[in-house]
Amino acid sequence: MGELHIVVCVKIVPKPEEIRVDPETRLLNREGVRSEINPPDMNALEMALKLKDEFGARLDILSMGPPSFEPHLRAALAMGCDHIYLLSDHAFAGADTLATTYTLAKGIEKISGVDIVFLGEESSDGATGQVPPGLAEWLNISQLTLITDVNVDLNQWVVQGRREIKGGYEILEVPIPCAISVKTAANEPRFMDFSRKDWAFDKGSITIWNASDLCVEKEYIGLPGSPTIVSDLAEASVRERKNIFIKGDADEIARQLANIIQSVI
Amino acid sequence: MNLSKIPSQDDIYIVDDSLWDQLQELTEGDVSSCYQCGVCTAVCPWGLFGGESLSVRALIRSAQIGIQDQNENLWLCTTCGQCNAYCPRGVDVAKIIRALRLLAWDAHTVQAGLPSLLWSIYWNNNPWSQPPSQRENWIGSQHVPLFDPDHHEILLYIGCTSSYDRRAQKIALALVEIFHESAVKYGYLGENEPCCGESALSVGHLPYFHEIVLNNTKLFRDRGVRDVVTVSPHCYDVFKNHYPAVDGWIKPIHYTEYVEKLISDGRLSFSTTIGKRVTYQDPCYLGRHNKVYDAPRTVINAIPGIELIEMTEVGIDGLCCGGGGGRMWLETKAGERFSDSRVQQALETNADTLITACPFCVVCLEDSLKSIPECEMQVLDVAELVVKAL
Amino acid sequence: MVKSIYGVEEESKIILVYIEHTKGKIENVSLEMLSKGRELADQTGWELKGLVVGYDVDSLATAVLENGADGVILANHWLLENFTVDAYSHVVYSILLDLKPSIFLLGATANGRDLAGRLAVRLRTGLNADCTDLNINLDTGVLVCEVSGFGSGILAMIEAPIHRPQMATVRPGVFSIQENRLARSGEVYAYKVELNKDQIQTRIIEQIIAEEVDLTSVPVLVAGGRGVSGNFEALYRLAELLGGEVGATRPPVDDGYIERERQIGQTGVVCSPQLAICCGISGAFHFVVGIEKADIVISINSDPDAPIFEFSDYCVVGNVDSVLPALEEVLLANKEVVYG
Repeated sequence: MGELHIVVCVKIVPKPEEIRVDPETRLLNREGVRSEINPPDMNALEMALKLKDEFGARLDILSMGPPSFEPHLRAALAMGCDHIYLLSDHAFAGADTLATTYTLAKGIEKISGVDIVFLGEESSDGATGQVPPGLAEWLNISQLTLITDVNVDLNQWVVQGRREIKGGYEILEVPIPCAISVKTAANEPRFMDFSRKDWAFDKGSITIWNASDLCVEKEYIGLPGSPTIVSDLAEASVRERKNIFIKGDADEIARQLANIIQSVI
Repeated sequence: MNLSKIPSQDDIYIVDDSLWDQLQELTEGDVSSCYQCGVCTAVCPWGLFGGESLSVRALIRSAQIGIQDQNENLWLCTTCGQCNAYCPRGVDVAKIIRALRLLAWDAHTVQAGLPSLLWSIYWNNNPWSQPPSQRENWIGSQHVPLFDPDHHEILLYIGCTSSYDRRAQKIALALVEIFHESAVKYGYLGENEPCCGESALSVGHLPYFHEIVLNNTKLFRDRGVRDVVTVSPHCYDVFKNHYPAVDGWIKPIHYTEYVEKLISDGRLSFSTTIGKRVTYQDPCYLGRHNKVYDAPRTVINAIPGIELIEMTEVGIDGLCCGGGGGRMWLETKAGERFSDSRVQQALETNADTLITACPFCVVCLEDSLKSIPECEMQVLDVAELVVKAL
Repeated sequence: MVKSIYGVEEESKIILVYIEHTKGKIENVSLEMLSKGRELADQTGWELKGLVVGYDVDSLATAVLENGADGVILANHWLLENFTVDAYSHVVYSILLDLKPSIFLLGATANGRDLAGRLAVRLRTGLNADCTDLNINLDTGVLVCEVSGFGSGILAMIEAPIHRPQMATVRPGVFSIQENRLARSGEVYAYKVELNKDQIQTRIIEQIIAEEVDLTSVPVLVAGGRGVSGNFEALYRLAELLGGEVGATRPPVDDGYIERERQIGQTGVVCSPQLAICCGISGAFHFVVGIEKADIVISINSDPDAPIFEFSDYCVVGNVDSVLPALEEVLLANKEVVYG
C-alpha cells in the first residue's frame, strides 16, 4: 500500500477589503492589492498536516494561477508540505468553477497516485463552495464536505469525517480516493516550521505545469470552458442606518424602544 | 515518597538531557545561575490570585532537570519582570520563559490562539488580525507627514495597537497634536510601518522574531531612520534591547522622554490649568525593564494644577496590568486579572484620574474600571493629559 | 467552448425547484424558492415545478403545489431515505436529462451546494452560488443571478447564456414565502427511480440532528454578545414576547453559553429580520454581516464608542441588565392594554 498520498488544493486570493471595482470599466481593480492564502485553505492544510503527523504521508500542494503565487505557496510548504504543483498558463485565466475544477482535476491526474484531496470549504473571493464537489465529480471520486474532523482507516482504506450540518452533525465514511472540504475555522492552522522555512523558500521544490503539460482539451479550460459570464459588477453599497441615540433613564429608554418596536412589527 | 508503590505511567517523566543544553544556549547561561531560592515565585503577581499561582521556580527547576513542562502555566507569565527585580543572582527570568516557550513551539504544544497571532503578523503586518490597508485609519482628518530623513528630526513609530485599537488610537492622536503644537519636525512610515515584532518575541517564537528584526532593520536603514519615538513601551523595549545595535544607528526613545525634553527645551508649554488629582501606573516595559520612571512623572508634574499621588505599590513594585508576555491575545479569566487589583490600588489614592504611558495598560485598566459600578475614575495616557493642558 | 449535455435549443420552459426536506417538513429555503419561482413563472409564462427526492415523500406534494408549483415530481426510493450525494446526484441527473428544465434552483444549504456542485459538472453547465436575487431577462430568457463576493464587498450579476440547465443555489432567507395559496391543481408525477446499493459509496455512520433552530427566516432577532456575560435569559424572554429568536456572536458560543446554531455572522447565520436587537455586542464586521439586511437595528451597549452604533438605526448607550428588564416590563404592560 505504501505511504498515503495527500494533495491540498490551495488558492491565493486578494485581501477582500482591498478589492475595488472600477466604476467606468466595471472590472475588478486588483492593482496593488495584497494577497494571502485563502483562509479556509489554511484549515485544509492543517487537517492534512495532522494526518501526515499521524500516518506519515506525502503531502503536496496544488494551485492554479500566475507565478506571482509562488512566495505564498512556499509559506504553505514551510508549514510541513513536501512539494508544490502550480498550474500556470494564460489559457487558464478567466475560468469559472467548471473550468477551474476541470483544470485542477487534470493536475491531480498528472500528479497521479493521489489518495485524498483536501480543499477549503470555499474561497474568500468567489465563495461559491463549488470547487470541492466539482473536482470530485471530474475525478469520479467520493466527497465529504464541511468536515471538522477526519480519520483514515488504512485497513479498510476509507476515510471517516465529521460533517457539520444545520442542527447537528453526521459521521460519514467514504472510500479512498476521495475529496474532502474542510469547514472554515475548523482548526487553528499551525505556524510555519522554521527549521523547514529556509528550504521551503529557497530550494523548496516546485513544479510548474502549463496547458500542454497537462494534456487538457482547450474547450474545457479558461474562458472557453466557462459557461457563466459576469454581466455586471459593482461595489456593494453599505446600507445607511439612522444612528439615532436614545437618551434617558432606563424607563424612558424602555418606553421609546417599545414604541419603535411596536411600529416595526 | 512511597517506595513500595509501583510507579504508574503517569509518574514516569522522560528526562531530556538535550533540553538543558538548549536552554543554556538560548539563555546564554542564565538558566544555570538559578539556585532555586524561590524569591521569584514569592514576588510573582500571580501569587495574588490564589489558586494555582505561577511557580517560576518550578518551571525553571523542571527545565534544569530536563523535563519539558507542558504546563499551561508557562503562558500565564506576563514578563512583567517583578521576578527579575528581586532575583538575588540577577537571572533574566523573562529570557528563560521565552526560551521555554520557544521549546513549546518546537514541540507543537503552544497555547491556542498563538499560531494565529503569528500568522496575523505574517499576512497583515499586525498581531490584531486587522487589514493592513487600514493601518492609517487612525489618522482620520489629521495631517501626519510621511517620513523624510532630510526634513524630519524623528520618526514617530505608532505601533500596531495604537494604529488599530479604538481606545489606543486616541493616544496616537494626542501625541500628534503635541508634536504640532511644539512644531516638531517628525514623520511617520504610514501604511508601510512594519510591526516591531514584540508579540512574536513575547510568545517565544525567536526565529520569526529574528526574521522580523532583519527585515525591519533593512527597512529602517533604507528609509534613513535614526531617532525613533515610540508610543508603546513594548515597541520601545524591542527596538532598544532586541534589535541589533549596529553602530547604534537606531536610537529609540519613548515618547514620555521626548516630551520631557520638549518641555525642558522650551518647545512645549502649558496654558491651561488642570485641577486633577492623578496617580501614575508605571508600565512594566517602561519602568522595571528600562528604568524610565522619572520622565513621565516630570511631564505630569510640569502640568499646572496637577497633584500627583503615588500608589503604595510603586516603581519597582508596581503591579503589572496583565497585558504583557502575549497575554493581550489570550483570555484571562475574570477574577484573575491583574488590572482589577491595580485599579483598586489606584482608587485607594483617592485620585480622580489614573495616568499611564502604555496602550496595553490603558486598555486593561479601563476595562477593569468599567466593571466597577458607579466608578468615576478615568484612565488617560500621559499624552492625553498633556493635550488637555495645551 | 465546452458544451452542456443539453443546450438551450432542447430546453423545456420549466423552472425546476429542488425541494429539500427533513423529517417530513419542507425546508424554508425551498418554500422561498417556490415563491420566487412563481413570480418568475408568472412573468415569463413558464411552468414552475418542484422536485422532491427521498423516501415516502408523497405527502409533501400537496405543500409544494400549495406554495405555487404547477407540478411536482416525486422520486421515491428506500435508498434515498437519507441524503447521500452519490444516490441523489444519480437520481436527479437522470430526471434533469428527462425533463430538460431551463432553470434548476436549489437552496444554498450544505446538501444543496454539494448536489448542485456535482450535478453542474456532470451536466457541463453553469452554476451560480448563494444567490441573493434572481431575475429573468424577458428578451433572452436568460436567468440573471445576483451574487456577492470578496466578503460581501462586491456584487456581481452572472448569467449562463447558452448552457442548460441554468443552475443556481439560493441563499436561505433572501426571498420571502408568499402566503399559502389554495390547493392548486397540478400534476404529481411519480418518477421511476432506478437505484441499487452499489451505486452508493457514502456510508452514514451516525447522524445527530438536534432540535432545529432556523434563524435564517426569523422575523425578530434578539442577539447577545460578550456584554451579556453569558446570561441569555432576558434575551429569550424578550424574543418570545416579540415572536422572534435568540442569536449570539461568536464569543458566547465559543464559551459554551449558547448553541453554535445561534451564531450570527460571516461564519454563522446570515438573516434578514424585520427587527434586530443587539445586546452587549461591540459590532465587529464579521457579526454585522449577519444582520446587515435587517429592516431596523436597535443596539444596546455600555460603550459609547462601540462600532455597532454605526450599523444601528437606534442606539442606546446603557447597560443591558437595566434596559432589557425595563423594556420587558413596558412591552408586557402594553400587551395587557391591548388584550386586557
